[in-house]
Amino acid sequence: MGGMGNRGAAAKVLTFLGERWAALFLLLLLLGFGFLERNFFTFKNFSNILYYATTYALLAAGETFVIITGGIDLSVGFVMGFTGVSSAIVMRDMYAAGRPEAACLLVGAAVGLALGLIPGLINGLLVARLRVPPFIATLGTYGVANGMALYLSNGFPITFLPPRVQKIGNSFLAYLLPDKGFTFLHRPEGLKSKELRSLIGIVPVTVLVTAAVLLVFAFILKRTRFGQHLYAIGGSKDAAIRAGINVPSHLVRTYVLSSMLAAVAGVLYVFRSGIGNFTTMSASYELFAVAAVVIGGASLMGGKGGLGGTLIGILILMTLENGLNIAGIPAFYRYIATGVILIAAVVIDQFTPERKAGGA
Amino acid sequence: MVPEAAASTNRKATAPARWLGRNWAIVFLLLELAAFGLLGKNFFSPENLQNILVACLPVLLLAMGETFVIITGGIDLSVGFVMGFATVVCAKFMVLLQAAGLPPWASIPLAALICLAIGLIPGLINGTLVARLKVPPFLATFGLYGIAYGFSEIISKNTPIGGLPPIAGEIGNEYFFYIVPGKTVSFLVKPQNLAMEEMRSMISVLPILVVIFFVFVAIFAFVLRRTRFGQHTYAIGGSMDAAVRAGINVPAHLTWIYIISAFFASLSGVMYVLKYVSGRADAGSARMLDSVVAVVIGGASLYGGTGAVKGTIIGALIIATLETGMVNLLIPSHNRYIAIGAILVIAVLIDQFFPELVGRGE
Amino acid sequence: MKRVLILVLALLFIAASFGFAQKKLTFAYMPGIEDPFMRMIEQGAAAKAKELGASLIVGEYPKAWGADIQVPILEALVARGGFDFLIVVPTSNEALIAPLKKINAKGIPMVTTDTFLGNGDYSKASNFSFPLAYIGTDNVLGGYEVGKRLAELIGNTGKVYMNTTNPDASSVTGRRDGFLKAMKEFPEIQVVGIDYNLDVQETAQRQTSAVLQKHPDLKGIFGTNLFSAQGAYQAVDNAGLSGEVKIASWDATPDLIQALKDGKVDLVLAQRPYQIGQLAVEWGYKFLTQKATVPKKVIPGFFFFTRENVDAPGSQSYIYQ
Repeated sequence: MGGMGNRGAAAKVLTFLGERWAALFLLLLLLGFGFLERNFFTFKNFSNILYYATTYALLAAGETFVIITGGIDLSVGFVMGFTGVSSAIVMRDMYAAGRPEAACLLVGAAVGLALGLIPGLINGLLVARLRVPPFIATLGTYGVANGMALYLSNGFPITFLPPRVQKIGNSFLAYLLPDKGFTFLHRPEGLKSKELRSLIGIVPVTVLVTAAVLLVFAFILKRTRFGQHLYAIGGSKDAAIRAGINVPSHLVRTYVLSSMLAAVAGVLYVFRSGIGNFTTMSASYELFAVAAVVIGGASLMGGKGGLGGTLIGILILMTLENGLNIAGIPAFYRYIATGVILIAAVVIDQFTPERKAGGA
Repeated sequence: MVPEAAASTNRKATAPARWLGRNWAIVFLLLELAAFGLLGKNFFSPENLQNILVACLPVLLLAMGETFVIITGGIDLSVGFVMGFATVVCAKFMVLLQAAGLPPWASIPLAALICLAIGLIPGLINGTLVARLKVPPFLATFGLYGIAYGFSEIISKNTPIGGLPPIAGEIGNEYFFYIVPGKTVSFLVKPQNLAMEEMRSMISVLPILVVIFFVFVAIFAFVLRRTRFGQHTYAIGGSMDAAVRAGINVPAHLTWIYIISAFFASLSGVMYVLKYVSGRADAGSARMLDSVVAVVIGGASLYGGTGAVKGTIIGALIIATLETGMVNLLIPSHNRYIAIGAILVIAVLIDQFFPELVGRGE
Repeated sequence: MKRVLILVLALLFIAASFGFAQKKLTFAYMPGIEDPFMRMIEQGAAAKAKELGASLIVGEYPKAWGADIQVPILEALVARGGFDFLIVVPTSNEALIAPLKKINAKGIPMVTTDTFLGNGDYSKASNFSFPLAYIGTDNVLGGYEVGKRLAELIGNTGKVYMNTTNPDASSVTGRRDGFLKAMKEFPEIQVVGIDYNLDVQETAQRQTSAVLQKHPDLKGIFGTNLFSAQGAYQAVDNAGLSGEVKIASWDATPDLIQALKDGKVDLVLAQRPYQIGQLAVEWGYKFLTQKATVPKKVIPGFFFFTRENVDAPGSQSYIYQ
């Protein structure tokens, strides 16, 4: 799209910046908010941003795989709701039946993750074997998963889970009390009010889990044949077939992966909130996930994108909201600001010369 | 990847089969109507059938604009919140003009016109971003989605806007004809002083809003089918490069397309104000995806180049009939989400497996 | 010919209405949105209908709050017919006037529950005074009472924050306005912000975390409904500030009651949705069978859960389950 200007140093700099505009933009955001608000640039706040980024990061990671193949997965938000509700129901019922807490948690989580495979399999078969356009196939599962979540929960959040669920979901790897010391994995007891407010949790456990999952998936995407084939499929389906790639089987696996990550997000959501919640229509998780992937440099036409970029996209969205909130911008001005900044960022990207990059 | 066998039978498809393939959506709609008519209660009453029409108006209007956008290969995620924005602007102006001392016959149309004019702005922005600045439609309209919503909440001060001239609601909720069997037929004005029995038996025909809608649809269906503008729209969706080579001014054309989309969203907003006599920032937000669904059921491809007004209307009717029918049968809502999901997929499967049967484009 | 037709129709109609009189009464309930509170109203109405030998049909639960979503469902329900009395939660105090009036003109009596038409005063003649009664909570008063109690909990001084759902739902805006009114009476208390989570708990939690970050000395939070309150207390709990930041919440779901017992929430206002449903059917039944005069406003009141009374046997019936 941009000019072929790699003559001269200025053009080189521009190219360099253009390729990394999202990362630069994130940096600018962080610096900007840091200047404006002293409460922004704290360890606790960064920890918060990461903590809330987990759900979106997982959904968007799956979305990245799908978008690289040239598809889209609109069902992720409701798959997350459906698997969350299912795993919460299992935990609640087992706990009510007097099973040990650990068993409830493990079985509940396993059921949620396993159920997450089904919508992915359906999406994949529809897209790969029956050639249904991804937008429609996944919009179909979106409706079905939404209906199932409502049916299972009957419109009530699932409560009375084992109390340890929420404890685990909200614990930190370590706690730091300035001038006093560290504790690992459990919160120090008997603190005074002043000390409570200055206690710092280091690395939420959910962030660790998410990071681990994302690392595995980044490895799959960058370092395995499977990952490279996805780029090939997204680049040109015909060429991929000619190169001997089994396109349908790759596509099915891609949608299963996306759905699985949505299920991980759903189960983690249960751990964090301690309840099983059907997500309402207004949440629009899928739109935010797709937006993050596109900000991260992927094209909806396929063949481009990477998990690093997606993560930056998510962090941009989360930092924007958090920063604008801390800067004291009233609720709905934040919507406008987010929209304007997003569009501005993409426009700037369009005007910086770009090297055609085929990989992450 | 269509199985060989299917492909070969397609080639030999008989005329009726080809007709069925091309018109499966309307056949499905008729089947749907027949099923609900048999199983439901009072489903075929004039009241209920007109309810279906009125109920699908917001989806239809948003889908009309979306049809144009999707034919060019784009998507407009902002239509729902642009509609909300329009309801707020329209309601606000009605209140302001009323306060300024204008009589309702002047303030209502004036506010509607102002709103339709202001409503073009988000379309212009979307169009400029997509056509001139090459922002992907998904991101451009996603940005506008937040911006339009933010502005609406700010204008409405986080509270629905009320206090409009009551006569606005009469335009939005009245019918062209009222028939009291065996007694009178009156035009536009509801017969007065009816006994309770007569009230119950009164049949109202042709909701005003539906008529207004069809006037606009006729115009835009004509534009799409019979004008150069329409042909260019398909050409751009078919192949952007080819369109450029053919000398079409693609950026200008695309800008107009997004303006049309915003226009229909605003029109839907005005109709909302006339029907519900208030303005609400999130008035259309829940209908955005439904509108895309309607366009796709109607035979459009998200890759661009195909789609038609007629198809979109049938698509919207299929959704609205399902909604009304399932309420009629007292089926819990979660089943409807599942049903819509399933229908959507089946719709496209038919499209996939009978490629030769289904008329591609117009 | 025409006359014969009309005669036949009239006879059919009379026969039908006789048949009806002998059949059991049917109530219709039209909820406002898919949420536990609306489900509780249904449960109460269904139980009362069963007790009285009547039946209850339920319109589809709208997937989002708003007249444009609710009215098509409502109109489809009315076109279907087969009920004698309507219990409706209007999703807008203005937008629902015209559609409900049309329904009322067909001879279907109704009560509005949880939310009302116009300003909710059906006792004076107006274009919205046709429903027999409003049965529900006084949200402004509730918000005001919550404000007073929260102020007391934080010692009448300091920063407070409100997390609420959708600015377009009249019941919730009532709570917001009542709360702000109460806060005006405390010059030492500063309301540092209002956020709208649009019924997404995770958003509520995120917003509350950011506010805690900006105002480390925050003293109190009011979560105006289930999602707001659950998100708010979890953010506070994550920050390790449970008990330090006082939390007032609305709607007594089992989760919030448990949180109250655990010391994560400090005050829970319980509306009485089950009773609202029961009362709606009960008054409808009396109206239909005995021509009883229905009071224009039936306010079943609300109940405050605190840690002191949460385990008392008398409190248990207020929990939504």
